Amino acid sequence: MNAHNESPKKEPLVLGIDTGGTYTDGVLLEYNTHKILATHKSLTTKRDFAIGIENVIAEIDIEDPSAIQMVSVSTTLATNAIAEGKGKRVALFLIGYDPDLIDSFQLSDRFATPNFHYISGGHDLHGHEKEELDLSGLLSKVDEIKRRVDAIAISSYFSPRNPEHEIRAQKAVSSVCELPIVLGHQLSTKLGSVERATTAALNASLLAVLQEFIIAVRRAMEHRGIEAPLMVVRGDGTLMNDEFAARTPVETIHSGPAASAIGGRFLSQKQNALVIDVGGTTTDFALIQDGKVTISEKGATAAGYQTAVKAADLLSIGLGGDSYITTDRKNEIVIGPERVVPLAYLSHQYPNVKQRLQALTKRSWPAPSPAELEYWFLQREIEDESGFSDREMDLIHLLESGPKPVKKLLEKMDVLDQSQLNIQDLWREEILGKSGFTPTDILHIEGLHKPWDMEASQASLTVFCNYLSMEKEAFLKFIWDEIAKKIASAVVHFLTEKKIPGDEVEEENLGKWFLTNSLFPHHPHLETSIQLRDSIVGIGAPAQVMIQQAADMLNTELILPDHYAVANATGAVAGSVMVTEEVLIYPHLSADKVDVIGYYVQSREERSEYEALESALENAKQQGEEKARSAALRSGADNPQVVVDVHQEGMDTYRVTAKAVGKPRLEV
Amino acid sequence: MELIRVDTKHAYKILREKITSLELKPGQALDIGRLANQLDIAQASVKEALRLLAHDHLVEAPPRGLYVTELHLDDLKKISGIRLRLETYSAQEAAQHRTPDDLVILTSLCEKKAEDTGELFELDHKFHQAIAQAAHNKYLANTLEHFYGLSKRLWYLALPYLDFLPTAVESHIKLVEAIEEKEGETAGEIMHTHISDFYQKIKRIITERDLMGSAR
Repeated sequence: MNAHNESPKKEPLVLGIDTGGTYTDGVLLEYNTHKILATHKSLTTKRDFAIGIENVIAEIDIEDPSAIQMVSVSTTLATNAIAEGKGKRVALFLIGYDPDLIDSFQLSDRFATPNFHYISGGHDLHGHEKEELDLSGLLSKVDEIKRRVDAIAISSYFSPRNPEHEIRAQKAVSSVCELPIVLGHQLSTKLGSVERATTAALNASLLAVLQEFIIAVRRAMEHRGIEAPLMVVRGDGTLMNDEFAARTPVETIHSGPAASAIGGRFLSQKQNALVIDVGGTTTDFALIQDGKVTISEKGATAAGYQTAVKAADLLSIGLGGDSYITTDRKNEIVIGPERVVPLAYLSHQYPNVKQRLQALTKRSWPAPSPAELEYWFLQREIEDESGFSDREMDLIHLLESGPKPVKKLLEKMDVLDQSQLNIQDLWREEILGKSGFTPTDILHIEGLHKPWDMEASQASLTVFCNYLSMEKEAFLKFIWDEIAKKIASAVVHFLTEKKIPGDEVEEENLGKWFLTNSLFPHHPHLETSIQLRDSIVGIGAPAQVMIQQAADMLNTELILPDHYAVANATGAVAGSVMVTEEVLIYPHLSADKVDVIGYYVQSREERSEYEALESALENAKQQGEEKARSAALRSGADNPQVVVDVHQEGMDTYRVTAKAVGKPRLEV
Repeated sequence: MELIRVDTKHAYKILREKITSLELKPGQALDIGRLANQLDIAQASVKEALRLLAHDHLVEAPPRGLYVTELHLDDLKKISGIRLRLETYSAQEAAQHRTPDDLVILTSLCEKKAEDTGELFELDHKFHQAIAQAAHNKYLANTLEHFYGLSKRLWYLALPYLDFLPTAVESHIKLVEAIEEKEGETAGEIMHTHISDFYQKIKRIITERDLMGSAR
């Protein structure tokens, strides 16, 4: 781990950090040689992601913090803030949108804010003004709402074709109030007006969230003596510097899984592969083609909101190393999607847990049910008792002496069912924690991964088997089979977008029968099979055990690169800095809309007009290239290379895409 | 290529407000470590923010230490002299170059009512900024912004003894009318009177009450 002090020349070091649903991983590596020098895992703190990151920065084994020349973070912060409604309050102004149309298609709940207002104005498909912009109407509305919101989003109809109304609106609004303003056309050049408005509103609601996060990470870096550029991973796996990230936080949606995919490619050196990242809470799937993560055409979705943000094409399922294994009302075994703390870990922290679990194994009649394995515990002390109900405080006091089995707790609280307690806040604020039997416990039992208390896991397994009257081997095989089936089904679902019916055979539908028989062979005579052409690259700590069987079912190899347990954090530094600029060309039509008089060239900031298509195209390409290059430089790219593409989008309409890509510029 | 970091911008905004509103007093020593702790921002950013504020003449860096720039009666004369001329010029130019959008903005600002002093400052500031915007000269707008920051401290100093606001609001309305009618000379005159009245009142209060001494 300390090999780096032997090398005479100072190699540039970079620190990658990934905040997942369960763990925040850090990896310190030599940038040029790709040598991993140190890794660190700390628990993710959902109530404030910066805490987990601060822990990694404070504790990772670094000989000389000043040698670090870049810190890069992938974070589920944005996704999480949207899902939990932790974003700031936003007023959204829709210029030239048709209220009746929005109402009739019931689109209004897609805007990600209830505070939206229609203002007349907007343009048409050809960039002509549809209606005059009602600036004074806008300003009086702003005056009315400005004390009740934290940011303003503006999207005008067909603004990618002509952003004039958005720009005029921004100038006016910034002249009368200090609120930050986000414009739709700056985030999306696609024509979907609802998605653009949603993207602008979400971006506005995340501005302060990401700014606070960056300030906290910067502060943690300084405490450790790290003075280096800070990068944030986008949802497509590319990097942007913190200044860009603070302005376009919405682009960090899916940042975490995208970094995992990039890390998988980087460590495996595979140009084509299916990357499966098994975390504590979820398993994520992404496809690498020609060395790049495939991008979703639809745009990223967060908490059900469809945005126009480019993000990796991903599938995430609620299955991970810490998925809760228990039985349901019908006494059938269920795995996940809930995530709990493994009993091996809880018992490692509180040894008397093991004693009780072992005592449970000796109770034979009635055999204790798996529900008796569930423990609750205090995750942290509360600072202030006010704000909690008496019932919540009673529960907290009961847990002060250590974890308690839920069954006992419910008896003491004098209720029959958990739902009677009304303690959602305690879970959400991570005051209360839950522990139970998990795949991680099984890894302990099988000796594959056993940092904690194996005997607690063992005792829990015995309880399960006694209750279900199953042999241990049969029980374990059942769990691994189920996990493999879930993963293999998810792979097929991810690649085909077709749902797998499960292992119940449908005799009438030949297609389903064929697929089911291929994944879960059951026919005595007919053998069918399905093959995944790409290799699977497995990453995340439990990857080896949890994916191998699924890879076998799909008749492909499983590659586990070195350091696969922290590939996600590696991905945070392995990405390139990328900036995409788009320039649109569309015809200037005569008043009767029959003749083409000229061609408009529309970039994010300006519009110019040319008589001939050739000169319009030439100018658009040149503009795109220059803009992309300078934005990439500002975004922290070193010597960015620009590729310009032209696509015809319709009659006389073209989209010029300039992509500038470069390695992150390290501080030397 | 040097960029201003996110946390530097944040620190700059907070510290500038603290200095111009006299929460950090003229002549007060600035301890980077302590400010960083108070604001919960990295020291490097606080340092960088103070450097930017030195550029604004709000912070001084003599050979040793960092201080909030002192305020002298002499400064009032110097600052007001420049601002008087620039604001007058700004009003004249605005009458020349204003667009329909500018008029909507100016009218909307005149119609607003401030609910407290903080809002009143913001509103007045916005009004003068909007005139500079209407002049469509970014150099003028930047320079005015600089002097506005300097003169805001004088205003805060005199604040507890001030009571001349309605007339100021009235002159704002007249000014917008002149700008709308493209009467540059009138606009310039109204602005000139507006600004020089303001400084005279401030000056009187500051001298009569010897506020420069007590501000330290």
